[in-house]
Amino acid sequence: MTAIKLRNVNKAFGTGLSRVTVLQDVSFSADLGELNLILGPSGSGKSTLLTIIGGLQTPDSGVVLIDGQDLAEQSPKQRDQLRLTTIGFVLQSYNLLPYLNVADQFKLVDRVKKRGNLTPAELSTLLKELGIDQLLDHYPGELSGGQNQRVALARALYANPQIVLADEPTAALDSERVKVVGRLLREMAATHNKAVIVVTHDLRLQEFADHTYQLLDGRLRAE
Amino acid sequence: MRKVFLALKEIKHEKFRYTLIAIMIMMISYLMFILMGLMLGLANENKAAINSWRTQTVFLNQNANGSLNQSMITSPQLSRKLNRHEALIGQASVVLTRATGGHKDKQNAQLIGLDAQQFIAKKRLQLVAGRQTKNDHEIVVDQGLSTQGYHLGDQVRLNGNGQGFKIVGFVKNAKLSVAPVIYTSLANWRKLRGVNSTVLASGIVADQNVKGSAFPKLSRLTVSQFINKLPGYTAQNNTFTFMIAFLMVISLVIIAVFLYILTMQKMANYAVLRAQGIPARHLVNATLAQAALLMLCGVVGGVIFTWITQLLMPTTVPILMSWPAIGGIGLALIALGMVGALLPVRMILKIDPIAALNN
Repeated sequence: MTAIKLRNVNKAFGTGLSRVTVLQDVSFSADLGELNLILGPSGSGKSTLLTIIGGLQTPDSGVVLIDGQDLAEQSPKQRDQLRLTTIGFVLQSYNLLPYLNVADQFKLVDRVKKRGNLTPAELSTLLKELGIDQLLDHYPGELSGGQNQRVALARALYANPQIVLADEPTAALDSERVKVVGRLLREMAATHNKAVIVVTHDLRLQEFADHTYQLLDGRLRAE
Repeated sequence: MRKVFLALKEIKHEKFRYTLIAIMIMMISYLMFILMGLMLGLANENKAAINSWRTQTVFLNQNANGSLNQSMITSPQLSRKLNRHEALIGQASVVLTRATGGHKDKQNAQLIGLDAQQFIAKKRLQLVAGRQTKNDHEIVVDQGLSTQGYHLGDQVRLNGNGQGFKIVGFVKNAKLSVAPVIYTSLANWRKLRGVNSTVLASGIVADQNVKGSAFPKLSRLTVSQFINKLPGYTAQNNTFTFMIAFLMVISLVIIAVFLYILTMQKMANYAVLRAQGIPARHLVNATLAQAALLMLCGVVGGVIFTWITQLLMPTTVPILMSWPAIGGIGLALIALGMVGALLPVRMILKIDPIAALNN
């Protein structure tokens, strides 16, 4: 079943001579149960594509359908609700609050989204898989970059979203951890029937992807 | 608890930073409470005696411009006898010196002459030691003088007059125009004022609302009009009121700036949370809850400091702590702090989550 569908999406920034076209006629779809990898160099528009799919910004033209709903027809509040309940973001900046320890990062999710989150047993399993089950009392400032990245991933998955959008989720990880995260994302997609989109320039993730795309000069093409 | 979750967690994690802010708020509220205490203390020392008489209406000479000190009432000015709710008072500023013991110290005081048969002398003087005056040349004085070495039975002189006066009692709440009050008979007052018996008193006070027509040849004042005419009273109160008001405004600006800077420092975190769909309302609530907690801690700290200060303050300092007034100022401060906290709310509502991703 198609969770995400983009039709002829265009996006440009600036005006006149400084106008830069970031996305050109991008059409793309992602099904539930699949891990989609979008590769591209820095500045190729990967993050822009991710934010358009996540409803954080709107395309200049084209259509974005999430779960069959046109994002352009939704109010900002509805898009907030969509991100809270349906979309899990894993950001480059780790999306962790520095004054919450790891356990509290999950409690915060409970406070804003009361239903549908992982059970304590499921969370425990997730944390063990990611190797961060011993870090619950630690603050982000006390963790390494890789540990923070895994906590951020666990936090995004804790809300049990139907769609997972990850921006460079393995940037700070060694090869062993990349494999753990790759397997986890793959398993999340396949076992829990989620649509996972990862934008990255980390080729090590390619072996876990169901589909791989290249984003170059604003154009998206399948590998 | 939902609203204060983020606020409490952040305060707990950034103890030093938030303690400093709470201390700053505490010092501001402490300063306000102390200023208010001094204002009330000075005001009380101006009018404590008048309040102790439970006066509602005052009649003075029409040419006295509302000043008891300038007023003289003579027999022809009274159209009728006074009833049990009305009393004559004679007022004079005097210098009190001890007639015995070789003491040379002098004390400014307010002499109040009373008729022993009228309601003030009979009902309103609050004796804490000794007795009422019975005989000629006896006085009852403010209890504050007992802390300055005056005792029952002491002989004192008033205005250097050769005739001595004997202290036979101490009363509380006997301050007028920030000076201790000396109560004596109207006859003694006349002698000290140098007037003959046609002058009855300086004024008439009544412990109920009396219409001006009761004494048409006199000027009628309500007690608040009368108190506001006390020398320096209104100017002094206005000075303190303006100080407190300006301090309130300055506090509002300081607190708002602090909360603004605090929120600015958290914008990146908030942007990330907004990107994840956490409603702006939740973040606004967290910010307001944090401001309320800080204000509450600061104000409570200020109240505790004020209470300790009151215990340690020498009795010579005219400070009067009114807990309802402190509560009012404290609540006003918290309310102002919340107004200040609304400044960064607009920024939270306009957070661009894209900025979080770009960072």
